[in-house]
Formats: sequence, structure tokens, C-alpha cells
Amino acid sequence: MNQAEAILMGLRIWGSIGAVVAAIFLTIGMDRIDEDAREAYIFRPLLIPGILVIWPLVLWRWYLYETGRELWTRRYDPPRKSHYAVGWILPIGICVIIVTGLTLRQTWPVEIAPVRLSAPAEVSQ
Amino acid sequence: MSDNDKPFFVGYLPTPKALRGLLLAVCVLFISGLSGFGLALGVAQDDPGDGAFRFDYGRQTVTGVVELTPYPLLRVTEGNERIPAGHTLMLAGGGKTNVESRAIPLEGQLAQVSGTMLQRGALDMLQLRGGANGISAAEGEVPQIETVPLGRWKLAGEICDGKCLAGAMRPGRGLAHKACANLCLLGKVPPVFVSTQPVDGSEFLLVTGPNGEHLPEKAYHYVAQFISLEGDVERRGDLLVLRMDPDTLEVLD
Repeated sequence: MNQAEAILMGLRIWGSIGAVVAAIFLTIGMDRIDEDAREAYIFRPLLIPGILVIWPLVLWRWYLYETGRELWTRRYDPPRKSHYAVGWILPIGICVIIVTGLTLRQTWPVEIAPVRLSAPAEVSQ
Repeated sequence: MSDNDKPFFVGYLPTPKALRGLLLAVCVLFISGLSGFGLALGVAQDDPGDGAFRFDYGRQTVTGVVELTPYPLLRVTEGNERIPAGHTLMLAGGGKTNVESRAIPLEGQLAQVSGTMLQRGALDMLQLRGGANGISAAEGEVPQIETVPLGRWKLAGEICDGKCLAGAMRPGRGLAHKACANLCLLGKVPPVFVSTQPVDGSEFLLVTGPNGEHLPEKAYHYVAQFISLEGDVERRGDLLVLRMDPDTLEVLD
């Protein structure tokens, strides 16, 4: 298995686990932790793509709610504290990535001509 | 501690007088900045050329001899106005898939193929319809087909997946291009080497391993980069096939 196949397999495994988590969470878990969602079903398929991607976070949050360890007052503390730094890092980082990518581009080697290194063998078939 | 005199912007309330100038400046800079950024990114891209699915040609059906390089080819014996007899067609399935399972049982036999053409200049490929509608055995005598060795060559250029290059996608640059191409190649879509200058009249060569196997694993790391490599070139009809030597792969500056 080469690296590309390994990455592809990793993504498939990640997505498959996410599908199982989505199936269980959207049919069982959501009703247990969010009383406002009970008997509301139409919106649930919309959450499937997101759960496929961030299923570990879904499981973690579900665990916190189930065990009563969720402190809603502290829910947004970490993101709020880092807003200022992230607010600068994100745009600067995007610019750096784009400029670096454009700078490191290869140039099409049009001046290199094909060279025949050895003569052909006989006609086959 | 709050400062009641400090102006505060709320989207659905009238803008405080002290913030109007700042708001206007931000709006102008934001809109013009994004427009300029979008324009700069667009201008920096290469011309994608005219490669495309030729749906305007309609469904193409031709007959020929199936050859495996191991990527399936059709050496056309009974063509039509778009695909003349004597032409060599590369074959692919829908999306990033191949048609090897359908072509292998027909190797060396006459077959009728049907599908949609992709075309970029002299490079073309046929995306087959599903099942036996796409490829099926045909009646008739199998003509003699030749493979003409052209010797060992050192070439410079880029390994692409033949389907996207022929027109399924707009050829790009960089990581996204490489990832897309490698996914196609993992699906055994025929890989194509784009040479900087024509080799025996053609700048597109189907790429295989050194002994006529699928693209070597090592080559995946060099896909979509400008490289030099050596290999044996052979002519199959009007298509060149490059049996690359993976030990000679080098990334160019």
C-alpha cells in the first residue's frame, strides 16, 4: 500500500466510523441530551456530513452531557480567549500559504528536449 | 467596566456617527480587496485549454482490437467520422474508474466500444457506457496489429491522469492537482506523460511500468510535478506508450 492508498483508506475508515456514530447519535443520543430536539426529525439528516467529519467531538460532547460534566457557562471560554490571536493568525497564515505556494511553483521546462538514448529494437507482435 | 460613551456598532441599529467613516472605509477596502485578490488569483492560473467531454459529438461507437498495456486500449478497425480506423483509443470508466475487468476477457479480440469522448487536441479517450453496452465482443477476423519500438528516451514533462488531462477536469497545479490525479491513477485510469516537446510527433504518451505493468508505486510521488525520466517508447497505432524506468525519476527545479 502506498501513501496515497493509505490516506484514502484512512479517510474511508474515518468516514465509516462517523457514519456509525451519526446513525446512533441521531436516532438515540440526540433525544437523550437535547430535549428540544425530541420528536423533531427533519433536520437530523442535515447533520450527517458534519458528524462524519467531527465524530470524535460529537462523542466527547455526548459523553459530557450524559455524565453531567457539561458546564454550559464555560462552553465558549477557550475559543473566546484565543479569538484575538486566531483573528490575526488566520488571515496572515492564508496569505503566507498562498504567496509561498505561488513562489515555489515549478516552471514548465519547455527548453528540455526529448533525447533518444538508444536505438529501437525490432518490431514485435 | 463598560464605557457608555464609547460608540458600539450593532448591525440592525443606526450606525453611530463616530463609526460611519470607519464603516465606510472597511466596506470599500473589504469589497475592493476581495475583488482584487480574486482577480490576482484568477490571473495567476494557467490557461486550462480546450480539453472537455465532447457531449456535442454524441455517443461514439467504434470497433477494434482490445489491447492491454495493461491499461486497456482499442486499436480501431472500424471507425466513424470522429474516430477513424487506425486510431488508438484509451478507455476509461465513469468517474475515477477503469474498465479493465471488462476489457481483460476481450484482450486480443475484436470488440465494439461505446461511450463519450474526451478530447484535448491530439489526445483523446473514450469513457465507456456501463456493462456490455460499453464494451462487448464483435464478430469478424482479428487483424494483425503492430507494436513498433522507438528506443530508449530521456524525457522532461509531467505525469497526469489521462482522463482529467483529456478534458474531464481542468488541469491544475500543485497539491490539489496531484491529489486528484493520484486518486484517478489509483482507480487505474490510464496515466499520460505530457512531454515538453513532441516525441516522434506526439507530446502525449501513455505511461506504464518498465515491464508493461501499471504505473509503479514510486511514480505516484512524482505525479503532477515537472520531472525528467527515462524509459522505452513504443508506438501502438497513433499512440505512444512509455515504459518508464522509475529509478530515473527526477524532479526538475
